[in-house]
Amino acid sequence: MAKKKSAQESATPIFVDEDEIAAPEEEDQTFKDLNEKLAKIRKNRGVIGYILRNTTSATIDLKEPEKIVEYAIFSSQVLDSSQEISNLLETGDVENVLIEGKDNKVLCMKIDGNKISIFMEKDADDTDIQKQISP
Amino acid sequence: MENEVYAFALKNTLQEIQNACPDVTSNFIFKDGKIIAKNKNTDKETATQTMEAFDAIAERADPIGDLENITIQSTEGKINIAAMEDFYLTTVSSKEADEKYVNTLTRILIPIVIKLSEKIQPATLDNETITTEPEPEPEEDDAYKPPEENFDLNENKPENNETEEMDQPEEEPAMPEPEPAEEPEQYEPEIDDEPLLPDPPVTQLIVENLGGLLVPSDTVRVDQEVISRWNELFGDNKIKEVEVEALNGKTTRCKFKNIKKSKDTGKGIVKMPEKIQLTLETQQGELVTIKPIIE
Repeated sequence: MAKKKSAQESATPIFVDEDEIAAPEEEDQTFKDLNEKLAKIRKNRGVIGYILRNTTSATIDLKEPEKIVEYAIFSSQVLDSSQEISNLLETGDVENVLIEGKDNKVLCMKIDGNKISIFMEKDADDTDIQKQISP
Repeated sequence: MENEVYAFALKNTLQEIQNACPDVTSNFIFKDGKIIAKNKNTDKETATQTMEAFDAIAERADPIGDLENITIQSTEGKINIAAMEDFYLTTVSSKEADEKYVNTLTRILIPIVIKLSEKIQPATLDNETITTEPEPEPEEDDAYKPPEENFDLNENKPENNETEEMDQPEEEPAMPEPEPAEEPEQYEPEIDDEPLLPDPPVTQLIVENLGGLLVPSDTVRVDQEVISRWNELFGDNKIKEVEVEALNGKTTRCKFKNIKKSKDTGKGIVKMPEKIQLTLETQQGELVTIKPIIE
């Protein structure tokens, strides 16, 4: 049973699901590429942090480490409920979701089985960030 | 009941949005866990389940604060859920839809309609003191009284005068007629020398039963406060009839008198005989709109 870890300089915790089978090599490469892109995006003005995960690995880098669980649960809920809404309204598979709150906003995306959530301040340029992360 | 006030206006607005922008495939509005209005294309069950999925996100939204807007970009379309006042508008559009156009349309129209709906709620009737003319009827409204001199009682007039509404060219912007004009030839040419009058105000009231052996079946009872306001607005122009419209879009013209029972005044109700209720396919507790017919 392979155990995968994602390493990133500013990343705080790493969630690992030991029961999962190792991801295919190309998936692993996509994860690495996305990690690199996100590390750059993280330096953008207004970006609070991000969560990147696939079936075997996860990287979380957030300004408030004590709220990691809260952010992770919210991120997961957004993608699950968005897909549910999309199924109900017959619009197909979710590509990305932008959720704006009173204080901040979050951009959630799915790229090749990788789920990404980028948290940012309300005035951050989400369109530009989306362009940077898109393949 | 409050939600019903909005439902009527919002339902029509949603339909008009879709008419104006065919790329919008479905839209609906919810508030406090209830579907307030939806267009024809939207299934209620689907809307309810969507609302529940939205609530699941909203419950966990602490990291970003209260939800204001969600945009879901999917392979075959786009979904937007936007907070507007206390309401949430869900718009489903095709991928080809002009997002800016749709957003401009919805984010301007819906808040305006919500605000206008608030203004025509019975609860928001002005509290200003209005001088009312003394009423010749001293007894309660269930008793039959001969017609008052300022009311033209054409007893043989048919109850259901749906086609006659075509003679009324003025309409409230917030309450568009749900039934488009089918017989435009019935419009009468405008008379240029007519003095300019304000648009007849639309008042939303709750239906209450009006019964009794001697109660005229072609007359509704309206709050004196409302009648006084009409008289103030239109002065010497006699108001002999009112046009009553139910939530389902059915309309009828009928005569009116004021409510005499003091306990029924100021409650935003219209007392209506069963015959008129049948014509309008409405019943006690439902909302109707009333506007005066200016002769």
